[in-house]
Order: sequence, then C-alpha cells, then structure tokens
Amino acid sequence: MKALLTMTFGAAILVATTGQALADAAAGKAVFDAKGCADCHYTEGPAREKIIDDQLAKKGPELWYAGSKFQKDWLSGWLVDPKPIRPMKFNDLMVENPGDHPKLGGGDAGPVRDFLMSLTSKDVKAGKVKPKKNPKGRQIFAKKMPCSGCHEYVGRKKKIMGGRSGPSLVEAGIRLNPDWILAYLQKPKVFKPVKMMPVFVGLLSDKDMLNVSRYVANFKPKKKK
Amino acid sequence: MKKLLTLAAIVALTSWISTSPASAADAEKVYKFYCAQCHGLTGKGDGPNVTKDFPVSPRNFTEAKEMDKLTDADLKNVILDGGPSVSKSPMMPPWSKTLTVEQVDGLVKHLRGICKCKGKQG
Repeated sequence: MKALLTMTFGAAILVATTGQALADAAAGKAVFDAKGCADCHYTEGPAREKIIDDQLAKKGPELWYAGSKFQKDWLSGWLVDPKPIRPMKFNDLMVENPGDHPKLGGGDAGPVRDFLMSLTSKDVKAGKVKPKKNPKGRQIFAKKMPCSGCHEYVGRKKKIMGGRSGPSLVEAGIRLNPDWILAYLQKPKVFKPVKMMPVFVGLLSDKDMLNVSRYVANFKPKKKK
Repeated sequence: MKKLLTLAAIVALTSWISTSPASAADAEKVYKFYCAQCHGLTGKGDGPNVTKDFPVSPRNFTEAKEMDKLTDADLKNVILDGGPSVSKSPMMPPWSKTLTVEQVDGLVKHLRGICKCKGKQG
C-alpha cells in the first residue's frame, strides 16, 4: 500500500512538473514572438538552409535545437545580459559584432529560456561527452585541424587567442552542451547544412571528434580562489 | 530546316556560354563565404582571422609572381586536401568534404582572376 501511494505521489509530481514545464515553454513562446525574436531566429526544425544565399539571408542563428545546444544556467544569464558570442557581426566578415542583441527583463527571460530549452534534437545523444583536459583534443584543435584558426579560445598564459570569424569558444564549457558539440561535428548537415566551417566527417574519426568535444567542453572559467 | 536547327543550336550554345558570368558570380560567392575568412574579401590574405597571433600568413592571391609558381592542379589539391598536402600549414583546412568539385574548379578560376595570372602550366 505504501509503495502504491509513493508511486502515485511520484507520478502526480511528474505530471505536475511536466505540465508546468510545458506551460512555461508555451508562455516563453508567446514572449519570444511578442518581442520579435522570431524576426531573426527560426525555431522549427529541420534546418532550412540549402545554399549559401539561404544562410546569408538569416539575421541570426537558428534556434530549433537550442535546448540540445545550450546549457540552461548559461542561457538564463545570457538572455538578461547578452554579451557577444561572435567577435564579428553575424554573417559578416568586415563588421565587428556591435553587441546590440536585445536584452530581456528578468520576468521574460525565464519563460523564454524554458521555451528554448524545450527545443531539442533527437540527433543529440545524452551522456556521450564528459568534459576533461584532453591533450589529443588539444592537438587536433590547435594543430592537426585549424579549429583555432576561426575560433577564439584561452591559450597559454590565459591569453585569448584564435581566429575571429567563428563563434568564440572562450568559456564554451559553460555555454554549450558537451553532447551537442560532438553531435555537431558528427552530423553537421543536420544542424547547419550551409556554414563557413569545414565538414570534418570522413576527415576526423569518431574518436578524434570525441576528444575535440571533450577538450572544448572543458573551456571553463577559472575558479576564483 | 537543317540550317535552322544548326542556327538554333548555335544560339543555344552561345546563350549557355554567356551564362558563364553567373558561374563566376557563384565562384565569387563561394570564395567570400569560405575562403575570405582567412584570405580576405579581395584575396590579400587579410581576413578577420588573421590577427597578430595567427601562426602563418595566408596566401595573398594578388601576388601574381607567387601564384604563377603554382599550377591549377596545385591550387585544387590544396583546397581539397588542406595545407599539409603540399607541406604547408594545417591552418589551411581540407575542404574536400565541404565543397563540390565544381565549386573547387570555380574557385581555382576565381583565384586566377584575382592574381591575373595563368599559373605554372602542368
């Protein structure tokens, strides 16, 4: 009897929690639309881009898999205080990122975060990538393949190094879901069929991609002493 | 009738050839999207990735003297297989899994347009 009561109680909590999450996501979608976020970001997959012009026509990154890509805590903070992720303006090689992404108030950010976190991709498998220091990943990132040529990261002596055409990977370990990094490398056409980054499928092994993912997922701010 | 058909074929061929500027435009678009990140929009090797920390100097395609040392096949190889395939830096990535053969051929022509040179004849 006790077991039955526990189970019923547990199920009730699950239903209530799920129902609440759905309600929050729906509220977030309403805010997302009302604030005009959809003018720059599309949120329904699959990916729509087929040719370069499709990519260049976009004003901002697609968000249809945001819940698989981002970390919830990071997203909560970023929506309120959106610091530039890309050194350069989106889809532009000449203009610096003006850092003018609209901010959301605290009351709006929570529901929008819940909406975005509800947008997931079946192509991201959970629990595949554990962030860790990874010399092999570092070797590929900085030497074997030119990841560092287009992405900023923290190099030796805590210096920010790397190229500027891609999104910065400084502190990527608190922004990106480690499993998404791997999925993105393994299935780039699913997430970004047309992108400035080379396709590495067939050039890097799955193990190499796993090492790079672990390495990048370990880009975290130093803990304050 | 036969003459008419021949004339029509010539007109069609001329029309097809005259569409080549469109493919040149496509090549320029491909160049600006993928290559300009490092080589710069005008090919001077001055894309936004080339900060003072960038470990190598990307090829300046406007230097005809240097570009003339390379055959079209050399250019094609380095685009497809990256810098290490020609003993150059891995900062030049392999694009073989990203670009189609037609896009690479278009890029080679585009680079010859930038350097205004024909390149070493293979």
